[in-house]
Amino acid sequence: MDILGLIQSNLLTPIVLFFIFGIIAARIKSDLKIPDAISEFLPIYLLAAIGLHGGIEMRNTGFEKMLVPMLAAIGLSLLFTLNHYQILRRLGKFNLFDSYALASTYGAVGAVTFSVGLSFLKNQGVTSEGFLAAVLAILEPVAFILAIFLTNMAVSKQMKTKKESLGEISESEIGMGITETKTNLKQVLHESITGKAIVILLGSIIIGYMIGEEGFESISIVFDELFTGAIVIFLIEMGIIAGQRLDDIKKVGVFLIAFSIIMPTFNGIIGVLVATAIGLSLGGAVMFGLLLASASFIAAPAVLRHAIPQAKPSLYITSALGITFPYNIIVLLPIMFMVSSIVHNEGSIDLLNYILKGLI
Amino acid sequence: MKLYNVKLLTVTCEILAQKNVIDILAKHHISGYTTYEVEGNGARGLRGQGLKNEKNVKVEVIMQEDKLQDVIEEIARTLFTNFAIVLYVGDVGVLRTEKFV
Repeated sequence: MDILGLIQSNLLTPIVLFFIFGIIAARIKSDLKIPDAISEFLPIYLLAAIGLHGGIEMRNTGFEKMLVPMLAAIGLSLLFTLNHYQILRRLGKFNLFDSYALASTYGAVGAVTFSVGLSFLKNQGVTSEGFLAAVLAILEPVAFILAIFLTNMAVSKQMKTKKESLGEISESEIGMGITETKTNLKQVLHESITGKAIVILLGSIIIGYMIGEEGFESISIVFDELFTGAIVIFLIEMGIIAGQRLDDIKKVGVFLIAFSIIMPTFNGIIGVLVATAIGLSLGGAVMFGLLLASASFIAAPAVLRHAIPQAKPSLYITSALGITFPYNIIVLLPIMFMVSSIVHNEGSIDLLNYILKGLI
Repeated sequence: MKLYNVKLLTVTCEILAQKNVIDILAKHHISGYTTYEVEGNGARGLRGQGLKNEKNVKVEVIMQEDKLQDVIEEIARTLFTNFAIVLYVGDVGVLRTEKFV
């Protein structure tokens, strides 16, 4: 199947259709809304299901296999976050705070995107490595921690230069300013690791590992068969929120719109290639790419609003939820699936040739 | 019954600033407060729709006048620039003034 065909058939899956439906409902100003309790419950449910599956599979495959992909994912996530920052700061002319906030939003992972990816693969009849759920959990705080650390460093440096230019007199005053502007990294670390997403994910991985296939049978009706249906309901809500934000997209500017499409594509394809090189399966490489391509829009505001309050949340939420998320699930997933199929069929050695052929 | 005059401080802010406000109160040894989730419209647009993290919250605190200035000064200095926040103060009467030291 060619890539347009794959995108087209992806468009006609219930997940994408309901997402678009949600956007339309918001645009016609319908009062349709998923009740608060349910839209708060669904991410927890999705993460629990992902974690259980991951845990069960890790019991089968063992831990050794996940070490290299885990380190590769952390390395790439950090690298991409720094890369985003440079692009946003230098080319996009965003201020320091917005640049770091956006850089980490795009360096972090989206759990909802991950769920959609799993169900996309299910639809294609492809499986992925279960330990990627653990990679999702580990990757979640990494980009934020880096960005917050670097923001603190930059703020201290600014304060220091200011202090030097002002002289000694007002030193105590500035000292006070520093402690207030700088965020306590330890506190942020604690908050993001004990955040509900990571706790439920890690907890479910451990439980999944303990119960195995047999124990899972008794709950599989909830955590397996209902999975795609639950995503569909959640995506109505995501569609509505994205739809309400469509007007804000104009405000984020052309640069950020381009950024939120080009960066995920770049990160995702690099992710697929790296994953293939370190030996992940066809589906595993797609999920690995998706981890790096996705932007965080549920965890990001909660972390960043405290850690980098100076950054404008309208920028990072709107671009991650309004542009990158729809692009990822509608267009980028099929593209990454295509790339992954090609590199898995031809073997990674021929990859360069293929790209060159494609360019010519 | 005799009513004693104390101050009611009301802070309406985005839900993610709630922790900051309560931390400031704690710093000034005020442990009692009431919060509730609210919706509304203001300088930062319609709030209360969509994501849970973008909702608004209202924090009500009763305190003696002598603490009030320090508390509102700190809230204004640390939170006004970066958060969606509105603050106002009113006079209220309470029966048991010892509860609000």
